[in-house]
Amino acid sequence: MIKHHPSNDILMQFSEGNLPASLSIAVAIHVEMCPVCKKEIAALEAKQADNVFAGFDADSEDSFDAGLFDAITADDAIDEIYEQAPITVDVKDKTYTLPRALTRIGHSNFMQLGKLARSRIDIDDGALRASLLHIDAGGEIPEHTHTGFELTLLLEGEFSDEEGSYVPGDFMMLDGRHNHTPKTAQGCLCFTVVSSALHFNKGISKLLNPIGNLIY
Amino acid sequence: MVSQQLQTGCKPNTGQFTAMPDTPSKELADALFAVATHRDKRAFALLFQYFSPKIKRFGIKQFGSEAQAMELVQETLTSVWRKAHLYHKDKGAATTWVYTVMRNASFDMLRKMKSSREECISEDIWPLIDEATPGQHEFSDHLEDKQIKQYLNKLPQAQREVVRGVYFQDMSQEQLAEHLNIPVGTVKSRLRLALQKLRNEMGDQHD
Repeated sequence: MIKHHPSNDILMQFSEGNLPASLSIAVAIHVEMCPVCKKEIAALEAKQADNVFAGFDADSEDSFDAGLFDAITADDAIDEIYEQAPITVDVKDKTYTLPRALTRIGHSNFMQLGKLARSRIDIDDGALRASLLHIDAGGEIPEHTHTGFELTLLLEGEFSDEEGSYVPGDFMMLDGRHNHTPKTAQGCLCFTVVSSALHFNKGISKLLNPIGNLIY
Repeated sequence: MVSQQLQTGCKPNTGQFTAMPDTPSKELADALFAVATHRDKRAFALLFQYFSPKIKRFGIKQFGSEAQAMELVQETLTSVWRKAHLYHKDKGAATTWVYTVMRNASFDMLRKMKSSREECISEDIWPLIDEATPGQHEFSDHLEDKQIKQYLNKLPQAQREVVRGVYFQDMSQEQLAEHLNIPVGTVKSRLRLALQKLRNEMGDQHD
């Protein structure tokens, strides 16, 4: 069962469209895996619709823009929506089906470093970087912290850290105050959003730098 | 919340002189339905008049610019006109649906301002069709022929729904009309169009 959900604040900003794109994608993926948050989003949207559309508009009588009305209705065509066939990625001889939200958004080939592999999601989102992160069976990410935040959404497989174990759909938002060392016995695929380079706390940092670059 | 301000106008079609009129939910939902089924311009005029000033007000708050607020009005109402068939009453209020259409348009506009790339990803984040629409799993059971599935996927959503309902979920045309909330005549004409298209696509291979 999913135990880790986006905070109420994140859900609220998501439903208002005010969250950065890469985080919005993460929440969208979580919401499709989590009926509880899906219901919450529907309720938030209904509430926001009431707030935005309630009230009397003093200028509603004389604001009818006939030019705009004619321009819109001149074309009788409708927008057809086509279902997207799911797409898969292969990492280390395993095949994963990507969540619906990622089917039309591009991603790079996987770059491998030991048991880690990362594919960059093709989204221009300022300092935020979104990736697919694969950790092969028996792999782990060395202990690290960061100045910004790190969002990890488990898509498939399992992993655990000092706080406990995680199942697909779990949505973990960590900030600079947390240290953690995720490891996986069977392997996992995650969607991650990282806001700044990672700082490794142990070992010879120079050696770990490539991992930091891979993960950010 | 009660406004003390004296109001001199009234909402279109509510006939009420109240400070805070109730949202005419049924009228709005009916208007969306009429736009979807008949491309009804009078019904669209009602939606247009009801929502334009509200979207503009929201846009000014969101973008701090009247020009961009007007762009949001145009983007949103164009989508309402072109996507009304994606609204289903059982999914919620018409106002909520229009809000999500506006939220998506606003999100894409904000992204365009921040990024040089012209990508619209709001519908990847908030799809306007529900993936869990009935008919999805029946599909894999009955339709093993991938090729037919591919042909079906080329059909517009409205026509595909009808083909699935009649041929793969064994619904009568009347049941399907009720289920989709459209007149039986529309079911028949969509089915006819769909079969014509499928025949063209499949051509000589399947006679």
